[in-house]
Amino acid sequence: MNSNLAEEHLQTIRLLMERSALYRRALAPIMLVAGILGVVAAAIGLRFHVESAKAFAGLWMGTACVALTLAFVLARRQALKDHEPFWSPPTCRVAQALFPPLLCGLFAGGLLALMADSWGVDFPMLLAWLLFYGCALHAAGFFMARGIKWFGWIFIAGAVLLMISIHAAGYEITPWAANWLMGFFFGLLHLGYGGYLYFTENSRNRSAA
Amino acid sequence: MNPEPFLHLDRLIHEKGRLAIMSMLAATPELSFTELRDTLEMTDGNLTTHLRALQQEGYIAVAKSYQNNRPLTTCSLTLAGRKAFAEYINLLEQIVRQNKSP
Repeated sequence: MNSNLAEEHLQTIRLLMERSALYRRALAPIMLVAGILGVVAAAIGLRFHVESAKAFAGLWMGTACVALTLAFVLARRQALKDHEPFWSPPTCRVAQALFPPLLCGLFAGGLLALMADSWGVDFPMLLAWLLFYGCALHAAGFFMARGIKWFGWIFIAGAVLLMISIHAAGYEITPWAANWLMGFFFGLLHLGYGGYLYFTENSRNRSAA
Repeated sequence: MNPEPFLHLDRLIHEKGRLAIMSMLAATPELSFTELRDTLEMTDGNLTTHLRALQQEGYIAVAKSYQNNRPLTTCSLTLAGRKAFAEYINLLEQIVRQNKSP
């Protein structure tokens, strides 16, 4: 074996090791917490009639910030518990994959809220968030296990279907309905997915034991 | 060039398919049969043959369980497998170093 071949082997090994090192940390608790926050935010939006575009953007972007912070805390807590470094290579890759679409979603939400004086923007805001969040999950899914890519596709498909159905029906979505839809996508769907992860992970552990 | 390190390379791991399996398992606690098959783009039969060879040598452990009423086969490196893989990497690095040194 010559040196070039040995180097090629090492390169292949490195690549395969990177591809198989998937992010597996605290996914079920993160999804459940995000779901609870989504439901609570929707309840606040409906109860207190959060209907102006700026208030709508503030409520949901604030909720997203809280959810991200809690996700960070949960992942860090598990890393400490397992005596692992928090910024492991899979965590870095997931963060890198999530960052651009989430930043675009934040930027789009902010921009639409600023333009709120000219027209009602709850619905475009909802669509932009669904699309960017779906893309973020799909991108992160390349470095995560357990159906995250499919979960991302649900958000993308949901946004497209909403766009088509609203266009076909020919009516504007009310802020009230926008809060309901946000609660459904960012609350109930996360709760459902988190529950699925939680119970399947447990049953898997039980049967493997 | 000193052929000594090359002669010590583990023949079982040196095969392309088995090396890929060992590399993937070295970076993660366990992987399912499906994850390995899809990532490495191997057929079921091919992967099974390689896994059996590695298992017989004691390099990997194969566990069978059920997930959502469907059979789930997971593979992980054993201590012996981890040691053999580390030795294999060391020898490869030795070969590279040997040729780079003046």
